[in-house]
Amino acid sequence: MDTMRRALLGQIAKLTAGAALVPLSSIASAGINHQPPRREGDPSKRYAMLIDLRACIGCQACTVSCHIENEAPLGSFRTIVSQYEVEHEDSGDIATFMLPRLCNHCDSPPCVPVCPVQATFQREDGIVVVDNDVCVGCAYCVQACPYDARFINEHTQTADKCTFCAHRLDVGLLPACVESCVGGARIIGDIRDPNSQISQMIAEHSKELMVLKPEQGTSPHVFYLGMDDRFISRPDAKPALWDVRGPKGEEMGYEFHGH
Amino acid sequence: MNSMVIEVLTPRYAMAWYPWAVQYFFMIAISYSALMLTVPGLLLGKQRFLLLAKIALLVSVSCTLVGPVALLADLHQPLRFWHFYANITPWSWMSIGSLLLPLYLVLVVAYAWLAWRPAMQEQAQEEGWMARLSGWIALGQWHSPRWMLILSGLGALVFSFGIMLYTGAEVAVLQSRPLWHTEWLPVMFVITGLVAAAGLVLLLNRLMTGNDEDVNRQGLTVIFVGMILAAVVAALWLTEGITGYSPSVQEAFASVKNSPQWTAVAVWGLLAGIALVLSAAVLLKKQSWLGFGWLVGLLALHVGWTFRWMVLMEVQTVAKNTAGYYQYAIEAGSYGFMGIIGTFGLWLAALLIIDILVPWKKGMQVRAR
Repeated sequence: MDTMRRALLGQIAKLTAGAALVPLSSIASAGINHQPPRREGDPSKRYAMLIDLRACIGCQACTVSCHIENEAPLGSFRTIVSQYEVEHEDSGDIATFMLPRLCNHCDSPPCVPVCPVQATFQREDGIVVVDNDVCVGCAYCVQACPYDARFINEHTQTADKCTFCAHRLDVGLLPACVESCVGGARIIGDIRDPNSQISQMIAEHSKELMVLKPEQGTSPHVFYLGMDDRFISRPDAKPALWDVRGPKGEEMGYEFHGH
Repeated sequence: MNSMVIEVLTPRYAMAWYPWAVQYFFMIAISYSALMLTVPGLLLGKQRFLLLAKIALLVSVSCTLVGPVALLADLHQPLRFWHFYANITPWSWMSIGSLLLPLYLVLVVAYAWLAWRPAMQEQAQEEGWMARLSGWIALGQWHSPRWMLILSGLGALVFSFGIMLYTGAEVAVLQSRPLWHTEWLPVMFVITGLVAAAGLVLLLNRLMTGNDEDVNRQGLTVIFVGMILAAVVAALWLTEGITGYSPSVQEAFASVKNSPQWTAVAVWGLLAGIALVLSAAVLLKKQSWLGFGWLVGLLALHVGWTFRWMVLMEVQTVAKNTAGYYQYAIEAGSYGFMGIIGTFGLWLAALLIIDILVPWKKGMQVRAR
């Protein structure tokens, strides 16, 4: 990606992070592919997450605890920390960049209006969930999400995704990933409450916050602090993972390129 | 600031839509396109298109019956299909499609039933189990007036526009995949569907009716015109990207520019398209070669199917969020190869059952060299 475009996207990322803080009332509309009304959840709240990348060490404790809490099948993740090795072309200095990814619980979630059976919906508190008793497993929502935050759970054969651990939030507990984060990098809270930690941090760092893929117009509600604008969209990076297959074509594992 | 970035750790994401989706999009596009090919002969009563219309009707009905089976199989919870009707969702294109599809199917079947009914009634007069079966299917000897055929045909045609619209819009609204997010995709689905339907008509013309020359000429003309239109649409799409008119098309270019697999697919598509348009042109020019129309038909089917494979499966190999591309290898089981073969097998079975039961060739006058 060229520098101009990157700079522009970075600006949009910052602006969008700002725009998301204006409380949006329910944007229900009858048009095709428009957002349906929200339902369930506490209408007085709007949950969001702020991830302080300066405090993330890429230990994947969030990945593991989420896996245990939500019983995702092996190989499928509701949250994961992408890791990048960044090498300065002139000096040769190497740095590592960590990027925790999860559902962005967008204010305009593209996964919701596409659902043909209303199995996936947005709660009044902003959390996007799936009722997997209703889900038919058409995977339309998986295609619609620009963040790859959704997958088809091979056990339930229905759509699966991060719910901000709504079952824990509803009883006053923190999400598993937040609870287990060793650096305290993940902060969740109600952005409608001006005294919440997240609201205060947003107020303090409003100019530096960025969101992922702002150009998609989804208004994500996971805000990144200490973000590098080269990573807000699909990174211009060399993929280093190669899967290793056995003589019969079965998957045996992964190995790093060049090792 | 220049830097090299290597993605060290990232999950792999599975394909969300299986080859079943390709089969559905292929079958349903042939279905509505073949329905269009029946219009001059059956609805407008133009004699010189009657044979084309008869073959096209067989193609349309068989594909209309089998397409929805493939669609059902693409659901991860096929037995929950009734949820579509218990939770009608007017803001979702897929839900709108689930309402259109059964009505379309019923209308196409009614149209074909009315078109084939006089021959069935005649067959019912004969002796034996086939005659009795024909009598049951024809539901008696009462006369069905022509307006019923016209009405059901027009109804099917109206709903077929709904099918064209929803199958195209369903995919094109997805902003998350720039290669899909273009208004040209629905247009391209229809054009390539028409090319493939004409191809299948040419093939059946060779295999089932004795290679009629007029049908060959008409089918080849449809393919030739269709491919020229496809080239125009592809050129417009490219121009939107090159001129920067559409950021989505530019993004689509950027998303595949570093993939040798994508380059190979694009080159193959281009070569197959050129080969198709040239061979159709040559056969139309050289009348004595018209009998080889079925070979062009096979190529047309290949182009129509490959376009859908490229759009629906290959696009899913482009990572949305991470660097690189996913490797996709077709599985042997029902999620992959068996699904593809199985759908075609089911289609062949439907075609043969209709061919056995329905005297659809009655009164056909074939003119071949």
